[in-house]
Amino acid sequence: MRIRDLGTRPAPAALQNLFARVTRGQAPPPIVERRQLPYWQEHGWAQQGNIYTGSYQTPYAAFQGWIEQERSGRINFYIYNPSNNIRSHSHWTCFQHRGNDWYLVHMGREPRDVSSGIMTIERLIKEAYER
Amino acid sequence: MKKLSVVVAGTGQIRDVEIQPGTTAGDVLHQLNLPDYLLSKGPNEPFFASAESVYDKVKDGEKIFASTKAEVGVAVCA
Repeated sequence: MRIRDLGTRPAPAALQNLFARVTRGQAPPPIVERRQLPYWQEHGWAQQGNIYTGSYQTPYAAFQGWIEQERSGRINFYIYNPSNNIRSHSHWTCFQHRGNDWYLVHMGREPRDVSSGIMTIERLIKEAYER
Repeated sequence: MKKLSVVVAGTGQIRDVEIQPGTTAGDVLHQLNLPDYLLSKGPNEPFFASAESVYDKVKDGEKIFASTKAEVGVAVCA
């Protein structure tokens, strides 16, 4: 069989990359950046100015809520229509009715940030369901 | 040794630490300069007591939370 030499030409870029990877060895795996979100944001709360809206979430139930952060730094936590389990909790007297089924949750010891307050209320709700 | 990622709840900042057997929650908070905080695995888990060893209660690489102390209550229901 007769062979005709047609000369050389560069390999396609995809092949060149493949060979380069084989000769270089495996590239280090990419590092996935961790999202550093405050708890409130990670749990779906939204912020508009000094107001946060979202829900207190537990394995048993979730309750709509809103939070107001005053200029003084004081944070007020509200919960909508707490269930009978919560109403039977020993801390029910700490829920002050503010009309239209909204309740202000009075903090004996105030959290320094919104996230810590949400976690405290979620912990109380869970407790109410486990009694 | 176990690696732990401590999420500061208020900011979302993640602080990576390595702990040895017997390390307490108080040791971790002291090391991270978070004296007024409490450690927990999340709102559905209880807080670790300051003197409680966390080593046996966490998995290597686990994410835990540091949140500020807060309590629901008024004088009559403390």
